[in-house]
Amino acid sequence: MSVVSRIQALGRSALALARGSRDLAALFLSTLRGVARGRRRPGETVAQMYEIGNRSFLFVAVTLGAIGMVMVYQTALQLERITGDLSLVGPEFLSLLVQDFGPTITALMLATRVGAGIAAEVGSMKVTEQIDALRMSGVSPVDYLIVPRLVASLVMTFALAIFGTAIAYGAGGITAYVSYDLNPRMYFDVSQVTLADVGLGAVKTATYGLAIPVISGFCGLRARGSSEGVGRATTEAVIGSSLAVIILNFVISGLGIYGLGLVEP
Amino acid sequence: MPRPAASPRRAPKRRQPGHLAFVFRPLRLRWYDGEVAAIEAKDIYKAFGQASVLEGVDLSVDAGQRLGLIGPAAAGKTVLLKLLAGLDRPDRGSVAVGDKDLASLSEAEIMPIRRRIGMAFQSYALFDFMTVGENVAFPLARAGELDDDTIRARASERLRQVGLAGSEDKMPSELSGGMKKRVGIARATVTEPEILIYDEPTAGLDPVTSAKIYELLAGIQAETGGAVIAVSSDVEPLIEFSDTVAMLYDGRVAYHGAADEIYDAEQALVRQFVRGDLEGPL
Repeated sequence: MSVVSRIQALGRSALALARGSRDLAALFLSTLRGVARGRRRPGETVAQMYEIGNRSFLFVAVTLGAIGMVMVYQTALQLERITGDLSLVGPEFLSLLVQDFGPTITALMLATRVGAGIAAEVGSMKVTEQIDALRMSGVSPVDYLIVPRLVASLVMTFALAIFGTAIAYGAGGITAYVSYDLNPRMYFDVSQVTLADVGLGAVKTATYGLAIPVISGFCGLRARGSSEGVGRATTEAVIGSSLAVIILNFVISGLGIYGLGLVEP
Repeated sequence: MPRPAASPRRAPKRRQPGHLAFVFRPLRLRWYDGEVAAIEAKDIYKAFGQASVLEGVDLSVDAGQRLGLIGPAAAGKTVLLKLLAGLDRPDRGSVAVGDKDLASLSEAEIMPIRRRIGMAFQSYALFDFMTVGENVAFPLARAGELDDDTIRARASERLRQVGLAGSEDKMPSELSGGMKKRVGIARATVTEPEILIYDEPTAGLDPVTSAKIYELLAGIQAETGGAVIAVSSDVEPLIEFSDTVAMLYDGRVAYHGAADEIYDAEQALVRQFVRGDLEGPL
């Protein structure tokens, strides 16, 4: 491949990325307008809340529980070797969970399970012309498909992040007690958690809750061809949503810690 | 001009109107004299990436007229149908429905115009999370002009007309291909739109079912009196069904004229295509 061809290919990729970003932003704004209009299928938001939330509880519980156990065990192990003082393991772990790990790991789990589900569902409808059929019936696919998923995702990401944080914290407490005989009163001390921690965690949770359905829906709406196109859309949705969670975490943490000085570094 | 009669493909018989067409025929008269909106595409260009699909297509259908759209595979027939339905936008040119140019309107502005158009899709496009009855009732329900009982009754009546009485509670996955086609047609026509677009209404169906479908389409068109545009790879029955036929080739309209005359078209490629000859420019 010649240098000119490489530059052309690079330019095409950059243009495709710019167009994709523009279309994604347009879909996000269109979805927000749809939320404001309030036109939703009766019961659809609740059905989506069940699909996104209830059916993810076990997945989130197992993942966050395991991560809580491992993190507390490893942290306590290192601290015991260096200082031998484990009194701050619980409070610091809770602070970290509330402002960062709870929402972010929960969102990463949702990006895989929920993101794939949304992209597959919307993508299947796209390649079988059901999206066109909706439009021919005078229905906006964004209002009909993306808006209920966004509202449901926003609510259930909060619920799952709180649930996941509690599970990880509790699992860590049990691990600390069983493995290191750490006094539960010392571990379950919530005094280190500030309002800024909670605020930062809440902002992250809300952002993830908005980003996952919009990115996944976007990938589904762009599906082309047949089942192969749906598969590609699903993969793109998982990668895109997961990357978005990681990048948003980085940006919001940076803004919160260094920009606004909400949380001490 | 006499039609060549060397093979059965070259000598299509004009089908007699079926019972549905006969029943609906008197109603058709109400819609003549320009009461029903026509659709017109002017100088349409459409490309996907580097691939140019349509290059200066002009096509119009008057109210009460049936247009058959034919052409080789990947000639852009479905693309043109979607442009006519306002589901996609041309890169250049205009698509006029009545006095509105779809190409210059926003999605929100097109939406009420689309309610005047019914489209049956190639791949059925039935909502797989709804029953057959809900699928057919959907456009009426979304229009929000009728009460639930009336909507259900209209949907059931349309299903009866397409020969699927009592199928309201079935799911699309329980239906055969022909039944799905008929449900798609019932959904497209339940609002009695002024323009009906059928994309491959008989693809994959046996000849008898295919003939029944065309009879059904003729009956519905007679009932609504609207303009009909139908695409099919099964050329002969489509020509029989249509008043005029247009052939897309190489991104342009290679032929647009009376259906009866297409077998004697001046262009050799058109004659070869409709006759299915092996020898010729195609």
